[in-house]
Amino acid sequence: MPSASDRTRGPGLTTLLRLAGLLVLAAAVLSFPSVAANPFILSVGVVIMSYAVLATGWNFVGGFTGYMSLGHAAYSGLGGYATALLIIESGLNPWLALCLGALLTALIAVPVGIASLRVRGASFVIVSIAFVLILQLVFQSWGEFTGGSNGLRVPRPFGPDVLRPEQHERFFYLHAAVLAIALLAWWLIDRSRFGIGLKAIREDEDKAQALGIPTFTYKLVAFVVSAFFTAIGGGLYALWFGYLDPIFQFSILIGSYMVLMSLLGGIRSLYGPLLGALVVGYSVEFFKNEYGDTQFHLVATGLLLGLVVLFMPDGVIPALAALLRRFRPQASSIREVTQAELAEQRESQESGPITQGAKR
Amino acid sequence: MTSTHEQPAEQRESARIGLAATGLSKAFGGVRAVDDATVSFHHGKVNALIGPNGSGKTTFFNCVTGMIKPDSGTVTYDGADITGKAAHRIARAGIGRSFQLCRIFPRMTVLENVLAAVRPPSRTRLLASAHHRDDVARARELLSRVGIEHLERADARDLSYGQQKLLELAGVLMADPDTIMLDEPAGGVNPALIERIAGLVRSLNAEGKTFIVVEHNMELVMSLSDHVVVFDRGRRISEGPPSVVQNDPRVLEAYLGV
Repeated sequence: MPSASDRTRGPGLTTLLRLAGLLVLAAAVLSFPSVAANPFILSVGVVIMSYAVLATGWNFVGGFTGYMSLGHAAYSGLGGYATALLIIESGLNPWLALCLGALLTALIAVPVGIASLRVRGASFVIVSIAFVLILQLVFQSWGEFTGGSNGLRVPRPFGPDVLRPEQHERFFYLHAAVLAIALLAWWLIDRSRFGIGLKAIREDEDKAQALGIPTFTYKLVAFVVSAFFTAIGGGLYALWFGYLDPIFQFSILIGSYMVLMSLLGGIRSLYGPLLGALVVGYSVEFFKNEYGDTQFHLVATGLLLGLVVLFMPDGVIPALAALLRRFRPQASSIREVTQAELAEQRESQESGPITQGAKR
Repeated sequence: MTSTHEQPAEQRESARIGLAATGLSKAFGGVRAVDDATVSFHHGKVNALIGPNGSGKTTFFNCVTGMIKPDSGTVTYDGADITGKAAHRIARAGIGRSFQLCRIFPRMTVLENVLAAVRPPSRTRLLASAHHRDDVARARELLSRVGIEHLERADARDLSYGQQKLLELAGVLMADPDTIMLDEPAGGVNPALIERIAGLVRSLNAEGKTFIVVEHNMELVMSLSDHVVVFDRGRRISEGPPSVVQNDPRVLEAYLGV
């Protein structure tokens, strides 16, 4: 892996640590169904995995380009409804319907992206919310096709002989597989030329364009990929949960959860959204359980977000990484310069913070 | 448009016109920032664009590099019309630029800042590692050329302002433009660094790069440039070799407001 060996001088210690971390993570995820105490805990696990897929899907556009879509429920909802309707109306195999539904959603994301990625910052956020609200109204009103406010029952992909705990377990592993693919795709983009272009857009879009990066195309591709993975997450959820209601599928709340989870974990980290989903997903289920059918879980979740933004603005993972770095030898310090370089710096008499430090 | 890329320095025709603007205008509300400006810049030279504050130099830069669309007029590069084209297309045609208040990617490392300017050979290579061996080698070469190679793993935002200016220049060079437009390269940096930047401009020019430099430091302009264009109120009022422009009464009038 050239990227790792270029960055570190040691014999790939970081790579080894990363691999070990990945193995532990995979083992923890795969063993969860067998250690889960009861079907309820297992179902919470499925919900958290579903959130993790959605948040990781969101992070293709949010993390790389910095465009904060609050309306990503549009794509999870479309993915869910497309999957369900393809099964109901065309009698497709559920898994084929899931893939086709996600592709259709990605196709819809193309014109939406072309329209909404023209504006930046707060304007983009508002456009993304507008789209999800339009979809909510359409899916509520178009009753004969979508089931309207009565909801839509999604045929179960597994036969009636598969019992509920078995269902949960299968869907847990399915979500884990999709999550693994999404994480792999994110990692591939992160280390690629395309990824560095996307990150340049996040940092300074005009500057990126002035360097020759076709910013609009880059953003659009990231947006469509993001919609695809979010739709897969939504479709898988629909197959598991078995019921869709426009109020919940196309809610700003679901989109906000994706943003909250990613921000909490760290949008610039591969596992950020996953960690965020774990914390937020568990908290939401916990609060719902504690406070019953009230809206208090929203208040608690809001408080959580407030705390994170105050104390870990970059997310949990970067905060932890910074903490770890403090215990390491300062081998990678930017102050590490040779005598010759020091002399040269003195010569040029720079007054920046780094050279000041080096002079002392 | 890409024909000039492979041309060796010694074969270039210094009389050839690169960037040219004809009747270029851009107004912001009632202010005519650039007003019917007609200018052309020859290849192989260090051109300076000077003028009092608010004379439209930066707006001119932004219009020709596609950052903003001009209201009227045409911009050509090597004879091809680039008026109102997207900024990345103009960049890919061979024009690189720096920004007045130095713009870098703050939360990326110094090395990544330079690598971001790599132009992939084909679309399929977009998913190849950004830290491709050849690219990294070239990026390091450029970083050492501007003198900040020891900082390659630092976050760009941790650099001093002067170092950030050098980093921005390295990034521009990574895209390998024929024409480099610098907006106030000496603004806000100390005299030693100004000398270093001037040295870089000279050596790059000797290798065949064309420069168009907006600058207020007259000493630097006069010592560095082959050709000086003077702007006032959005249009060209004078041009010529530094010694001629320096004594042009119109220029003195514009600067001193006599």
